[in-house]
Amino acid sequence: MLRIPAQAGAGEVAEQLGLAVPEFQDVELAPVVFRKAEARTAARKAAVWELLVSATAVDALVGSSGATGYSSGSVLFADAFGVLVDGVMLAVESATESELGGTAYVYRLVLRASVSAVV
Amino acid sequence: MRNARDTFYVTLRDRLAAVNPARTMVLRGVTRPGVLVEENELASAYQPVDAFCLRWTGVQVDAQGAMPLMTMTCEIRYATDGNAGNGGMDRGRLLAAMDAELVAAVGAAPQSAVKVNYAVSPAVAMGTMVFWGDVTPGSSTVNEERLERVATVEVFCYQEAGEL
Repeated sequence: MLRIPAQAGAGEVAEQLGLAVPEFQDVELAPVVFRKAEARTAARKAAVWELLVSATAVDALVGSSGATGYSSGSVLFADAFGVLVDGVMLAVESATESELGGTAYVYRLVLRASVSAVV
Repeated sequence: MRNARDTFYVTLRDRLAAVNPARTMVLRGVTRPGVLVEENELASAYQPVDAFCLRWTGVQVDAQGAMPLMTMTCEIRYATDGNAGNGGMDRGRLLAAMDAELVAAVGAAPQSAVKVNYAVSPAVAMGTMVFWGDVTPGSSTVNEERLERVATVEVFCYQEAGEL
């Protein structure tokens, strides 16, 4: 599940100052491939995972007919709060898309556990 | 201290918007002036380009006077990739433009503002001022195609009685 914040209020100073918290919604991402990306190292204490998301799934969420109102996949993942996997919230560290003939066919998300989840 | 940070951000945001109204960014679907406070936004790995990101770092307290004098360090981070249409070859010019906007906004007189408590609605003006020094730009760094800079500003305020 991808957790995304609701759109910010236009000119809403309270949100800009961290006084108001946006509402969140969870949207399903499927089909995906979820795999561990690399081992923990001393420099990077949090484990890192990779999520490969079908562009078909993303296309259903974005654009004028999408369920989220976001304009593109890159904007969607840039604004996302995280990805919920088995009840654990993983932060989106980066998102890249692979294209064929100018059309995205897969999105690659790098996910990491939050600092509080690192033991 | 929180009120001083909020006041500095709102003042800087309004001044930057006046210097260059075209510097905007889209955050969570809304177009707003191209400046944000990092700790007030969702924890995200993405640093917006062509926008100013404020990060509060150092704090010092001088308790010698009638009211404690707080000195806070505000790092202002900004970066640009240049325009894609120009192959990024204008990234130096764009970073220089951001330098100039920041210097103009921070250095504009007066370098002070009445401290405002935004935690109550409507916001309430407080009894003391927030004031700040000139901006100190750091060296620019090259991160692949991206040009980045961190500038710092010292922000001062008095801690009023009962203020958090």
